[in-house]
Amino acid sequence: MKKLVYTICCLLAFAGCKPELEMEAPSAGGADFSRYVAVGNSLTAGYADNSLYRSGQESSYPNILATQFRLVGGGDFKQPLLPGNYGYPDAKLVLGIKTNCAGITSLSPIDYAGAADTNGSSNSIAALGPYNNLGVPGIRATDFLVNNYANIASFYGNADYAKRFYKDPSKRPLDEVVHAVNRIKPTFFSLWIGANDVLGYATSGGEGNAPGTALLGLVLPGDISPIELFKKSYDSVLNNMVSGGAKGVLINIPDITAIPLFTTIPPRGLKLTETEANFLNQNLPLPGMQFVSGDNLFVIEDESAPGGMRQIKTNEFIILSSEILDSIKCGGWGKTTPIPKEHTLTLDEVTNVNNATTAFNQVILDAAQKHKLAHVDINSYLKTVISGLKYNGVDYNTEFVGGGAFSLDGVHLTPRGYALVANEIIRATNATYGSTIPPADVNAYSGLKFP
Amino acid sequence: MKKGILTACLGLLCFSNAYAGGFQLNLQGIRQLAMGGTGTALTWNADVIFYNPAGMAHLDVWQASVSALAIMPNVQYVKNNYSAYSQEQIFTPFNVYVGGPIGGKKAQGKIAVGVGIYTPFGSGLKWDDNWQGRYITREIALQTIFAQPTVSYKFSDKFSFGIGYVVGYGNVKLRQAVPIQDANGNDGSGELTGTAWGRGFNAGIKYTVNRTIQIGLNYRSQVNMYTDQGDAKFKVAPSLADSFPNTKFKTELPLPQVATIGIGFRPFARLTLQADVNFVGWSSYDSLQFDFAHNTKQLEDISAPRKYKNTFTYRFGLNYAFNPKIAVMLGAVWDPSPVQDDFVTPDLPDADRMVGTGGIAYRPFHGITITAAVEYVTTKPRNGNYAYENFSGTYQTKAITPGIGVSVDF
Repeated sequence: MKKLVYTICCLLAFAGCKPELEMEAPSAGGADFSRYVAVGNSLTAGYADNSLYRSGQESSYPNILATQFRLVGGGDFKQPLLPGNYGYPDAKLVLGIKTNCAGITSLSPIDYAGAADTNGSSNSIAALGPYNNLGVPGIRATDFLVNNYANIASFYGNADYAKRFYKDPSKRPLDEVVHAVNRIKPTFFSLWIGANDVLGYATSGGEGNAPGTALLGLVLPGDISPIELFKKSYDSVLNNMVSGGAKGVLINIPDITAIPLFTTIPPRGLKLTETEANFLNQNLPLPGMQFVSGDNLFVIEDESAPGGMRQIKTNEFIILSSEILDSIKCGGWGKTTPIPKEHTLTLDEVTNVNNATTAFNQVILDAAQKHKLAHVDINSYLKTVISGLKYNGVDYNTEFVGGGAFSLDGVHLTPRGYALVANEIIRATNATYGSTIPPADVNAYSGLKFP
Repeated sequence: MKKGILTACLGLLCFSNAYAGGFQLNLQGIRQLAMGGTGTALTWNADVIFYNPAGMAHLDVWQASVSALAIMPNVQYVKNNYSAYSQEQIFTPFNVYVGGPIGGKKAQGKIAVGVGIYTPFGSGLKWDDNWQGRYITREIALQTIFAQPTVSYKFSDKFSFGIGYVVGYGNVKLRQAVPIQDANGNDGSGELTGTAWGRGFNAGIKYTVNRTIQIGLNYRSQVNMYTDQGDAKFKVAPSLADSFPNTKFKTELPLPQVATIGIGFRPFARLTLQADVNFVGWSSYDSLQFDFAHNTKQLEDISAPRKYKNTFTYRFGLNYAFNPKIAVMLGAVWDPSPVQDDFVTPDLPDADRMVGTGGIAYRPFHGITITAAVEYVTTKPRNGNYAYENFSGTYQTKAITPGIGVSVDF
């Protein structure tokens, strides 16, 4: 009846009641998106919440890109998907209710307790390839030239992700790239490697070498990759990607000290009562140390400081982990016991990280210019996320849990975070190739889930 | 968790509708509506209580005039390869006006009294619960009813004055998604409902130049609608329920002042031409604020910028009487939007409006007139952005409003 009244009234008006706005017709511009290959690390694989699992892989930024590319002639995009969502090899983190060491119950990341549905994931699925997504969690740019990498990845503390889908794990990751290029003949690619060449140093508290030296082509985990080897490796991968005339996009390395892993615990996070402050002022009488009632700078280990300890500076970082949270709360860390150096990034170490990031990013920018490829300055983009951005009414920033962009490991992204990245890549691609690929609807993807 | 989460969620909850410049419903008096909403200069019927209280003194007899309308708005939103339509809804504003000379027809009195009960602002807009703008708005519905007791005095045959006291009642409902997903990935939701009260006045003067030309001036004051016991209800994941308590809220919505000059021109007996120009004081609507009784870190008070600007609306209408029984009306309106480019919101995707109206009045016998009218509103596609929520796209609105009314002399 309502409908009938409506229709009659429309007829009476001699004109349609419904607006008829035209949607834009997306175009591929000067690029061909029919066969897309993504090369990268954990971010490319869709790693999140400290693990790899199927729904995360399905929300990897390359898969989001492939979905958008399909609007302009893109084809199938095959990923080495895991069979389930438990997390591989270990349980993913989820938000749950946890009672901490001090007996306080609150919302915090806990291990997923659901059924283990990723059994058998160590078996090779290479025969079902070739795969369009070559993202391998933990891989560094310099690892692409390392023989037998997939077999020895566990030496780095990485799981056997590469071994799972590499055609020949005994060869170099670079050979796997060559193999994929030969089989798929990509018309378009994305390359996002290099973050792990500096991240391992930072997450281990800057205790490695900066830069490290390659031993038989292998840089020790915890070292910063030497720039010459980085460039050689990066260029080798890229030369193979463009060898068939493919167009593509290069994504640079974000400032990793801006991610929640480093920014969640504030340097001035030591809360003291007046009694505690007085006690410390009497019992830790080292030069420069001073405690007041309220917020104070944590005490950290520093071999070069008198007494082997000092208070942290406001531009230094404490690395987030459940171990350190408990130790601060209940073990006197940062107060009566200095926070061990492997849990902090001091100013010198931060400088090493920044210098390496700048140098690696110059290599990436030079390569983009040389090959006339699209270039995504994700490093700059991250700064806009730090100050906070809005997308269709939703706030995103780099805050842990509340910021919506980073997953529960504080390093990798939520599906919505990956969609924001995909949209930056689309923006750069459209600008370089004159295409008009529509951005993904970020809010259509999942954010953090609250119990 | 950041406070921003909810400022984002609720920032756009607002009072508004989509069918007349801003949230003003220019749907008064069925005959005047059919003439493009003109009616400040001439006294057609008791509906003049709204258009210009001064005109009431020119009613020869007591009259009751009743009309009802059905607004059927349709809004489309397009961004890139995404398109969404608002859901089809029908709203039914109504108007009742009763007035006449003290002492009745025989007294030929100088004083007239009357009352109008009408719906000057209102209606609503509903989108699909999962549409792209869901964190800004899912649904808005607003209804206002004004009661206006009025007195009018005729100084002479040429000059009269009238004033009415306005009491406004309103109720509002706003729904939107809250960007917190539960364990199953479902969005949270928020709903604000409330009733509001306000008061103001409606005053005018009318000057009859000669038999051919009449002039009217009308001023309807701003009416601030206050709610101090609105109900805010939230549904979010249980672990965050304490952060989103069901609570009371206060808010205030300024319904703008409108000043009108109108002229009526009757070149010969059968034909009447009218023109009105409205000045609408939209700039009073600077921001929309919600003051929650119970704040938490996540649920802070809201102040969302609106920054409306004042507008002028131009109205033209004509009435042609074929004979004493049948007359037809036509009208056209140019109604520019008070909303600036960076403040186009999906709950009120306002744009410059072009309005066409028409109607027919039939008088079966002396003392009764039945009028049918229709209004058609369309906007040009508008590229709008609501910078505060970073929500942009192209909007277009079309609305059709048929109505019917009857006026009875007694």
